[in-house]
Amino acid sequence: MAELEVRKIRKEFGSLVAVRDASLRFDSARVTCLLGPSGCGKTTLMRMIAGLETPTSGDVLFDGKPVTSLSPSARDIGMVFQYPVVYQGLTARQNIMLPLRSLRTLSAADRSRRVDDALAILDLRDVADTDVGRLTHALKQKVAVARAIARQPHIILMDEPVTNIDATTKSQLKYALRRLTRELHQTIVYVTHDQTEAMTLADEILLMNEGEIVQRGSPREVYNHPAHRFGGWFLGNPGMNFVSHRVEKRAGELTLGRPLFARDTHLHGLDGETDVIVGVRPESLAIAGTASENSVPARIKHAAIVTGGQQLLALEVDGRTVKAKVPAGSSYRIGEDVHVTCDPDDVTLFDTDGGKLEVIFRPKADDA
Amino acid sequence: MNGSRRLQQSAYHLGLWLVAIIFFLPIFWVVLNAFKSRRDILAVPPQLAFTPTLDNFRDLFARETFAPYMTASVTMSVAAVLIAIAVAFLASYSFSRFKPRGTDFLMFLLLSVRMVPAAAVVIPIYMMYNLVGWREDWLGMTLFYAMFSIPFSVWILKGFIDGVSERYDETALVNGGSRFHVVFKVILPQVKPGLVASFIFNLIFVWNDFLFSFMLGGRTTSMIPVLLSTGLYADGGVDWPFISALTGIYVLPPVIVVFLFQRFLLVGMTFGTVRGEV
Repeated sequence: MAELEVRKIRKEFGSLVAVRDASLRFDSARVTCLLGPSGCGKTTLMRMIAGLETPTSGDVLFDGKPVTSLSPSARDIGMVFQYPVVYQGLTARQNIMLPLRSLRTLSAADRSRRVDDALAILDLRDVADTDVGRLTHALKQKVAVARAIARQPHIILMDEPVTNIDATTKSQLKYALRRLTRELHQTIVYVTHDQTEAMTLADEILLMNEGEIVQRGSPREVYNHPAHRFGGWFLGNPGMNFVSHRVEKRAGELTLGRPLFARDTHLHGLDGETDVIVGVRPESLAIAGTASENSVPARIKHAAIVTGGQQLLALEVDGRTVKAKVPAGSSYRIGEDVHVTCDPDDVTLFDTDGGKLEVIFRPKADDA
Repeated sequence: MNGSRRLQQSAYHLGLWLVAIIFFLPIFWVVLNAFKSRRDILAVPPQLAFTPTLDNFRDLFARETFAPYMTASVTMSVAAVLIAIAVAFLASYSFSRFKPRGTDFLMFLLLSVRMVPAAAVVIPIYMMYNLVGWREDWLGMTLFYAMFSIPFSVWILKGFIDGVSERYDETALVNGGSRFHVVFKVILPQVKPGLVASFIFNLIFVWNDFLFSFMLGGRTTSMIPVLLSTGLYADGGVDWPFISALTGIYVLPPVIVVFLFQRFLLVGMTFGTVRGEV
């Protein structure tokens, strides 16, 4: 268990900047997910932590000591890759044992105990003496994970370990990893582009985009309160709706009104009239067949069933298209006229550059 | 499968067998002659029914030239190919993983050694070997054959090592293994078919070399092909019993090796490039 820190770390590949001066501290005994789309620099950041890439500038520190100049093998880390890397021709047990041989201080009994523990924690005892060549992809990956944890390294790095696993066994492996991370109390850095994976496994999510850390926080925090338009777009399935609005001064108060809000909504925290982007999650929009005092009229342009049985609707509101996710069981039809209610409490406001605006909403009715 | 399809298949197989037999016929004839008496060998029309005899082999083994030539053949070709594979394996690992500047050009340069006809380089090499005094020298000859075997081995093995994902190297490195461990414990076991294939291809080349052995080798370092040519004429004619017996013995080792390892050989011919990325 160790504390991991990177200081102003930067990696350039020719003219491409993969990681842009990131400074971070990873808490010990926690699972931190580096989450972001392909090419955002998350894997490069991890490979620099592992020592597989040399940073262009900046430092990696384990427990406060710089390790930037150390070779990967001297860093005492365990790593699992996207593709299950196992040694062919050996059994699962031999695969896990192999790296332990280089730990000279360990007695033979300790080694086999560690192997047994690793086999047990990953539920591999039944296949312990099977040649790994005959195991499925998912089991091979479990062996690779077991091999990484059996050494009890300072830090465990996982680079999209379930991405290449077929869908049916994916959730199994994900569940096994979740159980494992809860039991291990290890410093684990987990790279993924899959938000549900990150939501399931992470204590903390580091959202990355274009080589920079956009936001860090607990999964719920990152999901509910995106610090940047990117986070709202990337997280969620589908991501946030973004609707351009103009904040205007009406009757001496900064006000947000149509198209999304039926009544003028006052807000505090802005300097004056300005263009903003209203971000609202599809599942936060309430749809009803009848109008209410807070609803705006809309027409359904598309409707589809998504996983979980919910209905995903594309609505036209005042000439703009917004997505809405409604509970399973509802059956809206294309062309139907409905009414949409958007609660200001569920809304995040961004400036036109995508940064989050700290504002407080107060509906006009409350002013009186 | 319907009738016409089966017929087509049979015709196809028959054709393959015919071609194979036509190519194998001279070897078969020479080996068969090894068991015939001189009179039977020269009989016109050729005799298929004859009384087999081992006299030719007895005569061959009795010759004092046979043992040294055979020893040179076996020791030099095996040693040369082993040296070549050891060097080529490490070289191809470097080419594959560290990708030095100009790797493609270096790979081309390597193979160009094998593009030049042997006859064109034998004189310069003769002069060089004369200069450094390596002619008629076992080690000198072995190193020459190793040099000639390295390019092809590098080509085969680089294909194989390229086929092994770098993630293997990295897993071993981050899990505490040294580069030595990576090369010999992680990569080596996975490119065994490549090692066997390049061993066989180069063994056949060195085993059958005549030109360099004839020009550079002396009495103790020349190989069997030289003996075949120098012992060709005896008693005013071609010494067929000797030629047949010696050829019969000499084709045996490569045939056995190829037969045992043909599985690897097929993989080797594709240069390992058809393996999936892992």
